[in-house]
Amino acid sequence: MARLIVMGGGVAGHTTATFAKKWLGDEHEVVVVTPNSQWNWIPSNIWVGVGQMTKKDVVFPLAPIYSKAGIDFRQALATEVHPNGKEGDDKPYIVIESTEEGKAGQTEELTYDYLVNATGPKLNFDATAGLGDGKGGLGDHTVSVCTADHAVHANLELQQIFEKAKNGEKQKILVGTGHGTCTCQGAAFEYIFNIEHEARKAGIRDMLEIKWISNESFLGDFGMGGLHMKVGGYAVSSKLFAESLYAERDVEWIIGAHTSKVEDGKIEYELLDGTMHEEAFDFAMLIPPFSGVGFKAYDKDGSDMTDVLFAPNGFMKVDAKYDAGAYENWKASDWPSTYQNPSFDNIFAAGIAFAPPHAISKPMSSPNGTPINPTPPRTGMPAGIIGKAVAHSVCDMIKNGKEAHLHEASMAEMGAACVASAGKGILDGSAAAMTVYPVVPDFEKYPGTGRDTDYTFGEIGLAGHWIKHILHHMFIYKAKLKPGWTLIPE
Amino acid sequence: MKNEELNFGKNDQFNLTMIPGSFARKMRTCKIWQFFRFMVINIKMLIVVSKSH
Repeated sequence: MARLIVMGGGVAGHTTATFAKKWLGDEHEVVVVTPNSQWNWIPSNIWVGVGQMTKKDVVFPLAPIYSKAGIDFRQALATEVHPNGKEGDDKPYIVIESTEEGKAGQTEELTYDYLVNATGPKLNFDATAGLGDGKGGLGDHTVSVCTADHAVHANLELQQIFEKAKNGEKQKILVGTGHGTCTCQGAAFEYIFNIEHEARKAGIRDMLEIKWISNESFLGDFGMGGLHMKVGGYAVSSKLFAESLYAERDVEWIIGAHTSKVEDGKIEYELLDGTMHEEAFDFAMLIPPFSGVGFKAYDKDGSDMTDVLFAPNGFMKVDAKYDAGAYENWKASDWPSTYQNPSFDNIFAAGIAFAPPHAISKPMSSPNGTPINPTPPRTGMPAGIIGKAVAHSVCDMIKNGKEAHLHEASMAEMGAACVASAGKGILDGSAAAMTVYPVVPDFEKYPGTGRDTDYTFGEIGLAGHWIKHILHHMFIYKAKLKPGWTLIPE
Repeated sequence: MKNEELNFGKNDQFNLTMIPGSFARKMRTCKIWQFFRFMVINIKMLIVVSKSH
């Protein structure tokens, strides 16, 4: 009997574990280690953050689902990886620290035959002075929608702002990125237009000044270097698409900005031209930068070998080309396809946990040397597809031996669908529905735009909004492993 | 006065982009047109999903 340990229970980890268990059956063991007791459909946190959904609508407990599936669920934080085992025992293992009520802090060693790192990111609030609390958590000056609890808190703060606006006090709202190297601009993009929509509904739009701040060098970069889409017979840049939406909804923007300091009601930021500025706010939602979760890896003799498994940013090294060099040399083939660690063939990474070879957006920095460019996004659809491919590979290796063919899922050969809602009602909302193919542009295959413009498109309307609703229910249904769950694509 | 064009005058950022007119805005919430677009977007998304697996 082989044991597969999946570290992380988000989109990538959950997909890997559930498919692996389905394909391996009871002959082999699948263990999921995640510090969270609940699964969270993160895209709908946006609706929690504006009071249109409750936390209960976007989470469900993992234990009963894994119990039904026959997966060994450990509510714990994985802290160490020992890929060569220890003195006198070659069996690789990880160290976990329980987060379960009544067992919190208890550590345990778990041996494995195969290990999949799907932990997602660490929300690195402390990378920006004042954005964090100094202990790794969210600070007091801004809000976040990165977790369901953060979104609940964001809505409480937002409702106070709306109350003040209703009482005739002008309020200023700032939404965007809290550091020069953030990703996930799409979440902030969706949140700002949900706030705008709710303010319009509440009849207080003219009492709010709503402003966007981002590390993108142009509006509509989205961490993907922008995209070109067909609109009205033209192939146009997402810059025009995004600027049009912001102008229509009366949302001003600051771009090319590295937020360097957050204080009560004020941020300081540096622009790409090196100038320093301040922006006041009454309410701010700033996405933090991401990093790896901070695993340590140790060799048999106890020596630190973290740099063998992980890149300096804490994400796990996989089969990517990490020495591609300058932007001019970047190619689609730099991106990983099997997600196998180059040093240990029984270790894989899936979803946000893998170290990308480089950014997708053009790297930029201010004259002061401050990097100000988005890091690459790895959204739900790629995370799910990668998780499934990794599960396939691991199952084949367990069943057919280590020489089994590995399954591939390069982000340079897969698309992503993004639906950014504005509002939640079935008939009074709208959404920007976007599809990009491939996620990582391939300028050799698609000279000019780097992408297939037949399948890279975006439009605004009710239709996208309906799709957003369907995705919410469909993916929670799938994650709960209800009948027919395998038929729903990632 | 065309209300949808008012934002052009608010600042240079807005002035240098395009803003949808009343017809384009109405089509975004026209249920018949949006049902048609719903079908088209879904088909395109399914093709992208199938090409990605």
